[in-house]
Amino acid sequence: MAPQDRLSAPARAAPLLEVEDLTVSYGRNEVVRKASFALGRGGSLALIGESGSGKSTIARAVLRLLPAGARATGRVTLDGANALALSERRFRPLRGRTIGFVPQDPGHALNPVRTIGAQALEAAALLDVRDRAAGKALVLETFAEVGLDNPGRVFGSYPHQLSGGMLQRVLIGLAVLPRPALLVADEPTSALDVTIQKRILDLLSRLQRERDIGLLLITHDLAIAAERTQSLVLLKDGQVQEAGSAKAVFFSPTSAYARKLHADVPALNPDRYGALRDPGLGRLAQAAGEASKIEVRGVTKTFHVDGKALTAVDAVSFSVPAGTTHALVGESGSGKTTTIRLLLGLEQPDTGDITVAGERLAGRGPDALRGVWRHLQLIYQNPYTSLDPTWKIEQLVREPLDRFGIGSREERAARVREALASVGLGEHLLARGPATLSGGQRQRVAIARALVLRPDVIVLDEPTSALDVSVQAGIMEVLLTLQAKLGLTYVFVSHDLALVRQLAHTVSVMHRGRIVEHGRVADILDNPRQPYTRALRASMPAGISGTARGVPRRVPILAEQSLP
Amino acid sequence: MRNAYLTYAARRIAQAVAVVLLAYVFTFVVVSILPGDPVSTILHDPQNGFTDEEIREIIAAQGLDQPIAVQLWTALSHFVTGNLGLSMRSGRPVATLLAEVLPSTLILASAGFAVALLLAAVIAYGTQFLPARFGQGLLRGFPSLFLSVPNFVIGLVLIHAFGFQLGLFRVIEPNSFWATLFAALALGIPISAQIAEVLIANLDHEARQEYAAVARSRGLGQVGLFVKHLLKPSSLPVVTVIALTIGELLGGSLITETVFGRTGVGSLVQRSVTTQDLPVLQTVVSLAAVVFVGVNLLADLVYPLLDPRVTLVGSGRSRQAGAEDPATQTTEAVTA
Repeated sequence: MAPQDRLSAPARAAPLLEVEDLTVSYGRNEVVRKASFALGRGGSLALIGESGSGKSTIARAVLRLLPAGARATGRVTLDGANALALSERRFRPLRGRTIGFVPQDPGHALNPVRTIGAQALEAAALLDVRDRAAGKALVLETFAEVGLDNPGRVFGSYPHQLSGGMLQRVLIGLAVLPRPALLVADEPTSALDVTIQKRILDLLSRLQRERDIGLLLITHDLAIAAERTQSLVLLKDGQVQEAGSAKAVFFSPTSAYARKLHADVPALNPDRYGALRDPGLGRLAQAAGEASKIEVRGVTKTFHVDGKALTAVDAVSFSVPAGTTHALVGESGSGKTTTIRLLLGLEQPDTGDITVAGERLAGRGPDALRGVWRHLQLIYQNPYTSLDPTWKIEQLVREPLDRFGIGSREERAARVREALASVGLGEHLLARGPATLSGGQRQRVAIARALVLRPDVIVLDEPTSALDVSVQAGIMEVLLTLQAKLGLTYVFVSHDLALVRQLAHTVSVMHRGRIVEHGRVADILDNPRQPYTRALRASMPAGISGTARGVPRRVPILAEQSLP
Repeated sequence: MRNAYLTYAARRIAQAVAVVLLAYVFTFVVVSILPGDPVSTILHDPQNGFTDEEIREIIAAQGLDQPIAVQLWTALSHFVTGNLGLSMRSGRPVATLLAEVLPSTLILASAGFAVALLLAAVIAYGTQFLPARFGQGLLRGFPSLFLSVPNFVIGLVLIHAFGFQLGLFRVIEPNSFWATLFAALALGIPISAQIAEVLIANLDHEARQEYAAVARSRGLGQVGLFVKHLLKPSSLPVVTVIALTIGELLGGSLITETVFGRTGVGSLVQRSVTTQDLPVLQTVVSLAAVVFVGVNLLADLVYPLLDPRVTLVGSGRSRQAGAEDPATQTTEAVTA
């Protein structure tokens, strides 16, 4: 028999991974339909699509990690072997050694009650290591290679003791340690901060190059895909929409879907909402003399943890004129969240003064704060956890009205419908629960819930970081339309500079509790003076490198590139 | 970390002692406000032939004419110093009566506990390895079956089948090995169901976690995944459940003793209830509280050592749910 012999001659030319007519179904429901693509040895390919497009399902089918009840048909050839047809016993030797896996959420990808070292030794055991000591040496060497500062400490740590970025480095290390020919990375950076994202992607690219690994990258971000891989496969509703070299798909997309994906990436289209946003710049100029809607002056907040003083917010000042958007930008731990908690009166500042719509917030009791909250609403980061799953949409949106005892029954019902309509949701959703809605719809419900009180100011705490790029674009459009129509004032918290560029008028860049740079968005982002702001800007994925790096160009990138 | 644990342990131990003392006070108060006065019933019994003068003297000598708070204080201080008093019926020390029956109950309870753990492990781990076509579904059904049958019914069925039909043990020798084993089975089966249900749910939950998929992607087989990854996290919550089932073990062993005709704490309780022998009842109830609180205390103390994620925040709160309110659980266990 010796099937290897038969394959050995053409194996050089044959691709490392070949997927032909792959169909994955749950019962009658086909989530992937006849997907085909091929990835050469040492090459890189990205599967791009929104949630539910089937991109992760394809990755899991290739890895043979589909949940029970899923059925994969078609043909997946992995390093000459028919991966779908092999028995689990025959496929197991390929796991780790031929095909490695880097998962999406590093926080849940390691066993929480075992040390990282114990789990790393499982990966080392796939190579023929002599004993535990040799395995450990190999693990420590790999940890150092993936940029972990103190490999020995990481080895003895439990997962919850490390940050998300460090855990993802660990997982990448464990995946490449047994020297696989193919690495499947399923949205490896979507759970991480922007600056960490770039470093993790850089690490993946470096390892891929140095170790000659084939990389199958799953992402929803066209810019990341184009920047990091040679060929792109665009998926929608389980079907391939467009496939080709990264250059071709990025610069001259043929399908409508590819063009839409391109338009939805904030970094590639800084002025997409210019018509809605720019009137705010006029208000900014007008407001120079008047009192601002929000005034934050010299606010400091120190927390005491384990006897150590931690200054989360340090002498922060900014002001937001009515009808404009102010962005607070920074990484996790930069003090953004504490700043908005102070702004909402959920924490009291140690020193400094906060004024919203002419009313001082500091020193107010809970009752006095209630009055402020009518004018000041918050939209949370994660619409999957911020809406009570046992309530109906109608109840969720009406609740603030009930709380403040506003209007009669009929008036409340009318205001709920009005609020839903203004975020583009139909009345047929009123009796549904949040669980039946998509992430984008949920965030619209959260916006409607904030709008129903007709506030002046809305604080947006990373309102789209849990959503896909294309869904994010819809939410951005809703927010800007509402601002143009109702003259709302926004405080927009984000770590995504590209989004800030699209939405905000003024920006404060926060780093370790201080504002390091502030001013008009165009001034700060086009000519950042501080190294920290420059580092943040450099971490924005911008598609194919060297072309779209200088983000805030007035000329749309597509037009510019199609000239030669 | 070490310091935080010691603070936490000290708090938990202090709470446990407080709960036991409260349980004692609660029983004492409930018994004294119950209608019927067993002391005067005995004293006025014409068979004893006391005159009214003598009765007054005895009552005064026993301190029974004192206010209830003073009586409680006397009883509590005796209890704390280990003086359990005399049985009203037999006049023998309660400690002696208890010492006679305790070994039999302890043997039954520990055997029942062992049976429960073993059965739960077999059922839960079986569901992980038994393929669907060999009756995995049937195995998964066992816990709900076990839970829905009261343990005295299981006891009667076991006696009938193995005692009378198969003649494996003689019903009139309840302390023989086989009789004890079947009594332990009757006691352990319903308890095993609770542990097995939690264990199965945890195993299924852990197996669905992302880290399990990632571990499989590293080439771990079913057995490796189970032993290295699923066993520990799925067993941790069981520590709490086991502590909670101890109450059931106590209540269940009283019933099982009656069904199998064993002499034990159960029969002692039965006798003292019918004769209103207060010192004995008070002791047994307090003892049950001590055992239950003690086991839960042990679970609370062990848990932070087993689970690295549990952080003991300053005042000694642990992240673990359950066993939070031992007082209500104690009274439940006692009334069961």
